[in-house]
Amino acid sequence: MNFDINTIVYILEILVGGLLVGIGVHFVPVGGAPAAMAQATGIGTGTVQLAAGSGLTGLLAAGLMMSVTDNLWLILASGAVGAGIMIGSTMLTGSWIYAYAVGAPFASAKVNYDPITGFSQPPYVAPGTVGQGIPTICFVSGLIGGMMGGLGGAMIYYPLYLINGNAALSAMFAIGIFLVNAVLASWNIQGTIEGFHDPKFKKWPFAFRACAIASILLALAAVLITGGA
Amino acid sequence: MTVGGGAGGAPSAFDPKKIRMYGLVGSVVGIYLGAILNMALNTNVFSFVGAVAAIFAVVMGANSVRRICAYGIGTGVPSIGMLALGMGIIAVMFGLSVAETLGFGLLGPIITLVYAGVFGYIIGVLANKVIKFNIPVMEEGNADLSMAGAMAILGWSFAVSGNLGYFDIVKNVLMTGYIAIIFIAGGLAILHPFNANLGPDEKQDRTLVNAIMVSGIAMIATGIAAILTQGLAAGLLQLVIGFALWFYFFKMYYKLVKRDAAAVVGTGLLPPTVQ
Repeated sequence: MNFDINTIVYILEILVGGLLVGIGVHFVPVGGAPAAMAQATGIGTGTVQLAAGSGLTGLLAAGLMMSVTDNLWLILASGAVGAGIMIGSTMLTGSWIYAYAVGAPFASAKVNYDPITGFSQPPYVAPGTVGQGIPTICFVSGLIGGMMGGLGGAMIYYPLYLINGNAALSAMFAIGIFLVNAVLASWNIQGTIEGFHDPKFKKWPFAFRACAIASILLALAAVLITGGA
Repeated sequence: MTVGGGAGGAPSAFDPKKIRMYGLVGSVVGIYLGAILNMALNTNVFSFVGAVAAIFAVVMGANSVRRICAYGIGTGVPSIGMLALGMGIIAVMFGLSVAETLGFGLLGPIITLVYAGVFGYIIGVLANKVIKFNIPVMEEGNADLSMAGAMAILGWSFAVSGNLGYFDIVKNVLMTGYIAIIFIAGGLAILHPFNANLGPDEKQDRTLVNAIMVSGIAMIATGIAAILTQGLAAGLLQLVIGFALWFYFFKMYYKLVKRDAAAVVGTGLLPPTVQ
């Protein structure tokens, strides 16, 4: 591996991808165990599972697009749309269960009026809970987060594939970079978040700094590996 | 903000420093022993030694998961297991590739270990200083976790490919997709023990025995993969040893569960409904 201007571009692409993953995690409405019992807003599982799910779908979509074209923009768009579809369908089917099986009205406990629909929220929040289901604002926020994660995953995968030319190796390495950034970001959230309207969202600069340092270190390792077979 | 065994560190019968030493020495020596035996005798039946070596690393990783998560990290135990494997896989790819580029293929595990330790420590510093976790054991715990994840992945990859060469591992483990099995089985072995046993009555020996038990299941999985990559003899031997380990430690785990439980009662069949 000889260092030239391309190497620096690759490192920057991996850095930006890692940052997109780290920030994207903050948009996803993560409810954790309370949401699984319809006692909090969001999807009823942990941050890492959601981020990994959407990011890996984005990675697969990007890899598929990469097998037919090498146009960076198409690959990035495919990754973002793939991850967006994944997180969107998760939220949609989750909503059906909350609406028709649990029978909970969707309401956010973090805002008084939904910023998108303008509907009043507090009357619908059951006493003793912090909201239920996935209100419109959380759904939109989750879509943005999923697409950012997929975009980040594609942005990590693309330079890796150009460096070593081995799809399986690049995918595993991208998963590694993805998980490190997603876990750092989820530690920053510490549990549950509703989306970009949640007060916790203001903590994102900490994750930005941590993910930037981690991604640079990972990118330096990534440009040194060779393709193998 | 405590989820697990109580703030101020989980009580432990075995010293973490000792477990770390046994884990590192056991896994590195095991992987080299398997590789040298395979090479010297021109066979691949000793691949199972790599999977046994991974168990030492897994025990070290499970112990550091238990130490960190006892403080409560707020995002669930699985997140830290995935982080361990994420850091580990990057360290393995980096270590083996750089060793191959330098021309000393056998140095791979050492470079992997050094990179994993340094990177894990930096992640721990980031978590404490930037994200402001303020967990006292975060730095060394993350370094341990990263090294454990790397050594476990390396041990199982060797068990599947039968050779420590970078190109062989890429061809037999990565291109075939067995790395995904190793990734998830390894993640389970490191994160599941504390996730399953946490609570105020968590005991270190029970958690660690659970880790060995899950490693046995992972060894069965790598054995099946090894049948397809190295042939029946090497794969079957690994599968049988994995099953024996799982069976022995499952019985031991059950005994420990009975020791720690208030009472173990059989529910019998479903009770007849009262009309």
